[in-house]
Amino acid sequence: MEFVNTFIKAAFIENLVLSYFLGMCSFLAVSKSVKTAFGLGLAVIFVLAITMPINWLISTYLLSEEGLFGMDLTFLRFILFIAVIASMVQLVEMVVEKYSPSLYSALGIFLPLITVNCAILGGSLFMISRELTLSNSVAFGLGGGFGWFLAIVALAAIREKMRYSNVPPALRGLGMAFILTGLMGIAFMSLMGIDPAAFVK
Amino acid sequence: MKQSLLKFFHKIEPDKKKSPFLHTLYDGFFTFAFAPNITTKGGVHIRDGMDLKRQMVHVVLALQLCYLFGTYNIGHQHFVALGEYTGFLQGVHLKLIYGLIKILPIFVVTHVVGLGIEFYYAAKKGHGIEEGFLVSGALIPLIMPPDLPLWILALSVAFAVWIGKEAFGGTGMNVLNIALLARVFVFFAYPTYISGDDVWIAGIDKVDGAYVGQEYGWIYGVFDWIFSGLGLDTFGAGRMAVVDGYSGATPLSLAFQGGWEKVTETYSAGQMLWGTIPGSVGETSKPLIVLGALFLIFTKIADWRIMVSMVLGAAFMGILLNLWDVTPFMAVPWYYHFYMGSFFFAMAYMATDPVTAAGTPTGKWIYGFLIGVIGIIIRVLNKAYPEGWMLAILFMNVFAPLIDYYVVQANINRRAKRAQALKAGV
Repeated sequence: MEFVNTFIKAAFIENLVLSYFLGMCSFLAVSKSVKTAFGLGLAVIFVLAITMPINWLISTYLLSEEGLFGMDLTFLRFILFIAVIASMVQLVEMVVEKYSPSLYSALGIFLPLITVNCAILGGSLFMISRELTLSNSVAFGLGGGFGWFLAIVALAAIREKMRYSNVPPALRGLGMAFILTGLMGIAFMSLMGIDPAAFVK
Repeated sequence: MKQSLLKFFHKIEPDKKKSPFLHTLYDGFFTFAFAPNITTKGGVHIRDGMDLKRQMVHVVLALQLCYLFGTYNIGHQHFVALGEYTGFLQGVHLKLIYGLIKILPIFVVTHVVGLGIEFYYAAKKGHGIEEGFLVSGALIPLIMPPDLPLWILALSVAFAVWIGKEAFGGTGMNVLNIALLARVFVFFAYPTYISGDDVWIAGIDKVDGAYVGQEYGWIYGVFDWIFSGLGLDTFGAGRMAVVDGYSGATPLSLAFQGGWEKVTETYSAGQMLWGTIPGSVGETSKPLIVLGALFLIFTKIADWRIMVSMVLGAAFMGILLNLWDVTPFMAVPWYYHFYMGSFFFAMAYMATDPVTAAGTPTGKWIYGFLIGVIGIIIRVLNKAYPEGWMLAILFMNVFAPLIDYYVVQANINRRAKRAQALKAGV
C-alpha cells in the first residue's frame, strides 16, 4: 500500500515537472511530436526507476557513517549520483540506438542529456531528503518518471494540435510552450494536497 | 422590417480602409443580425446557415433559465439569511431587484473587459470579430460568487481572454476552457473571495466574528422610493442581524464535516435539487440546467456522449468510494453526489465545450468518464478544494489532445491492418 501511495504521490500530486519545474530543458525541447516525447518519457522512467534504488544503496551502504568505510562520505554524493546516472543513460542510449535508430536520431542530443536532466538528480536528492526506504525509492522513481512521461506526452499532443493555430508570431515555439507549461501546472494543482496515506483503511 | 434593417446596416457601413476599427465593430454587429453571404476560401466546408455565431447564441439561449433562476436566488438567499420573506415566492419584487443589482455589474464588467480585448485583437489582426466570447461571457457571471469584487472579476477575465485565448490564436484554438480559466485564476490568486463559507450569500458582512446584513446603498433607496409609491414592501435601511445558527456553509462543506446526515440537518434533498441553496450564481438549480442541456443536445451543439460518460464516471467513482468508506464524506451514498455542488452545470456547459473537449467519439467517452472520476476524487479526497469539477475539467482539457491522438492512431493502425489483410486476400 505504501508503495502505491508513493507512486501516486510522485506521479500526480507532486509531479516533478509541473509542481517542481524540474527537467524543463528536455521537457520543452523534445515536446514537438508525441512519438519522440513518448520515447524520451520511457527513457526517463527507466533511468529514474533504475538509478534511484542504486543511489539509495550507495548512499546507505557506502557513504553513510554506518556504511562500508565507516566514515561520513556524503560530500561524494553528487559526484557518485551523477556517475550512476551517466552510466545508466549510456545503457539506454545503446539500447535505443540498437533497436530504434529513428528514435535515436529524433532525440539527438537530448538522449545523452538525460544525464543532466535535473528531474533525475532531483529525484535522487528528494529521496535522500525525504528519507525514503528502498522499496519506496523504487516507487518514487517509477512514479516520478511516469508523471514526467505523462506531462511531456500531453504537452507534445497539445503542441501537435496547435500546429494549426494562428499563434501570434512572437509567441510561436518556445514562448507558447512556456505558457502551456504554466497552464498545465494550474491544471495539475487540482490534485495537490491530497494525502493518500490518510485514506488507507 | 428585415429589408429596412438591412438597408440601415448598409447605410451606416463605415469605410474599411479609413477606419478599420469601426468597420470591425460594424461587421461584428452586422453578422450578428444577418448571416453573411461570403463563402469561405480554402479548406472543405459544409454550407449551413448555422455558423459559429448562431451556435454560440444557442448556448446563450440555453443559459437563460439559469440566469433567471440565479438572479432570483441571489435575492432569495440574501433574505432567507436575514430571516425575511423565507418563503420562495414572498417578496418577489425585492428579491428580483436585489439579484439584478448584484448580477448586472458582474455581467457588464465581464463583457466590457472580454469583448474589449476581443474587439481590439480582431481589429489589429484584421479579421472579423469572432463571437467566441459570447458563451464565455455568458458563463462567467454564472460561475462566480455573487459578491465578487469587480476588479478581481475584470482581472480574471482579462487573464483568461489574453493568456488563455488570444495567445493561442483566438476563438476555437484555446486549449483550456476560457470561463473555467477565469474562475481558476480567482480561485488561486484570491482564494478568500471564492472559497469558504462566507462568500456564497450576497450582502452579508462579518463584523467582529458575527454576521450582519449589509447596509443598502443609494441604488436601493431609488427602488425603495418606487416601491413605496406602489404600496409594496421596501428594502429599508439594512444592517439587520442574521437568523440564529446562520453559517453560510454550502452542502459540500457540510458533507466534508459530517457526511450526508450533516447536510440534511441544514438543507433538504428537495432544496438541493431545485436549487434554493447558496452557491455560485447559476449552478444551483438542477432541473433548469438539465432542461438547458436537453436543448443543447437537441440542437446538436453539445455532445451527449460526454454528458452520459461523465455521469457514469462520477457514479463509478462514487460507488468505489462507498465501498472504501473511510471518512464520512466517502460514505455519502453515490447518488447523493449529484444533488450537491455544480455537477450538472459542469456537465452541461463546461465539459461539453467543443473546442477544449476531445474531438473523436471514442475520445469523448474516455474524456467524460475521466472527468467524472477525477471530479469526485478531488471533491471527496482533496481537503484543500471543496468542489472538483472546475479543476477536473481543466485537468482533462490538458489531456484531451493526447486522448484524441491515440484514438486517431488506433484508427489508422486498424485501417492499415484491414488494408493489408485485403491485399493479402487478393
